Amino acid sequence: MAVPEPTALPPPGRLTHVAAASGAALLKIAGTAGGMGVLLGRILARLFAFPPKIDGPELKRNLHKMAVKSLPIVVVTALFTGAIMVIQAAPLVKRYGAEGLLGWGAGFGTLREVAPLLTALMISGRVGANNTAELGTMVVTEQIDALRTLAIDPIAFLIAPRFLAIIVTLFVMTLYADALALFGAAYSGYGLIQVAPQSFYNGLTGGLLHFGDVANGLLKSLVFALVIALASCHFGLSTTGGAPGVGRSVNATVVASAAGVFVLDYLISFLLG
Amino acid sequence: MADAPLARPETGLVRNVGAAGLDLLLGGREMYSVFVRTLYYVFRGRRERGAVVRQMFEIGNRSLFFVSITMGFIGMILLYQAGLQSRRVLPDYTMLGATYLELLVRDLAASLAALMLATRVGAGIAAEIGSMVVTEQVDALRMCAADPIDFLVVPRFLASMVMTTALIVWSGAVAFVAGAITANVAFSVPFHTFFSMQLIDAGDLTIGLAKCVAYGAAIPVVSAYCGLSTFGGSEGVGWATTRAVVNSSLAIIILNAFISTAGLLLFGTK
Repeated sequence: MAVPEPTALPPPGRLTHVAAASGAALLKIAGTAGGMGVLLGRILARLFAFPPKIDGPELKRNLHKMAVKSLPIVVVTALFTGAIMVIQAAPLVKRYGAEGLLGWGAGFGTLREVAPLLTALMISGRVGANNTAELGTMVVTEQIDALRTLAIDPIAFLIAPRFLAIIVTLFVMTLYADALALFGAAYSGYGLIQVAPQSFYNGLTGGLLHFGDVANGLLKSLVFALVIALASCHFGLSTTGGAPGVGRSVNATVVASAAGVFVLDYLISFLLG
Repeated sequence: MADAPLARPETGLVRNVGAAGLDLLLGGREMYSVFVRTLYYVFRGRRERGAVVRQMFEIGNRSLFFVSITMGFIGMILLYQAGLQSRRVLPDYTMLGATYLELLVRDLAASLAALMLATRVGAGIAAEIGSMVVTEQVDALRMCAADPIDFLVVPRFLASMVMTTALIVWSGAVAFVAGAITANVAFSVPFHTFFSMQLIDAGDLTIGLAKCVAYGAAIPVVSAYCGLSTFGGSEGVGWATTRAVVNSSLAIIILNAFISTAGLLLFGTK
């Protein structure tokens, strides 16, 4: 370590290095975003054609695989989430001595924020990552090229059904999660801090919560679904480098979906107010 | 079975539920065994020099950027929603900072950052160990009389325990500062009102730290179990990654419910 390197050229400055690295990262992000935009355009062109160019059986198969098979995870997540929300709201309720507010306190956060967010994270981990692995394997084993050779449009046959299935799945799962989280919250409130379920439900329907709050959460779930579907299809289709490449794509999908979900969550929260 | 000429498709409801239950039981037992063996080798194993530090870099430093960005955004969202919520009841923002900090310390910083880490770190661990399994490197380790748990899982376990705690503390700070800025801009709460620690007590800190340790232990064990049980070539690695992310997230949510309940029963609601 004490012996200096015998090379003549001085190493590039730290500042140059940082600038080059951040420039490259920015270009990469821009490339990914552009790729997703182009993919979205192509999918929408198939979906809004008349008649829609989308493979019906593939859509049905994906809906079963993504939605029905994810139901147990969503149920468990939602029930526990409801319980956690009540435990976190409990000190506030006790501090102000307002048991009637428990339903509102837990329900507000659950419906607007937590249920859509956690459902999106679970679906992104289960469905989005799985979808990328499947598409990536098809790409590296040249099955997509085989489809093109047979004059079958891979977007209409593979991508559009998956895109639509992810969006429907997340929306429906968020509906389930909303209901189950409130159910779990009502009964854990009864078990843990002895607030009767009736007064929990009264707090929910007592006028402080509006339909707008539910709609806010559901709108979020649609936007999250869009991000997850685009990221998983894009990274799956752009897989390179054989089997290890599939692993890298899956990792990229999960990370990009999570980051995208949080950034958009922020934007929507502020836009809708 | 042998004399049945035409096997009917096996799709009974009872059979499906039973199969799912058995799967869950066997998976749970396997995961428990990985956990116990990891604990055993933490105290008894041979340690490769530098392995833990390398994993700490991989788990900690590489996740720093991702965790900071997501927790910054989440801090802004949480505070904005909390502000909207309190505006509907009583427009008094003096306790907003103190309540927010208490919630962060007790639950949200640990749980949300751990969910992010489960995504990033869990997927990484499962993909790495899974591809070692399908390329038979893990079998090669066994042939060299090195237990893969000792050689692969223990460094990740120790590194994750340290780095998860560090990252959670850091991400709590990021979320709090992001929240303070949001409160100042959106609800014009002055910073010196917002930075208030009057609601934090030993109970909150204990619960928060217990969560850090529990999540730090759960993420590598669950992900390593998913990685070690990979089968079916390169496609199997994708499946293992998916299962690692989902199962670690589920583990975090379930642990959160248990620790929060225990905290509520131990420290009360004051």
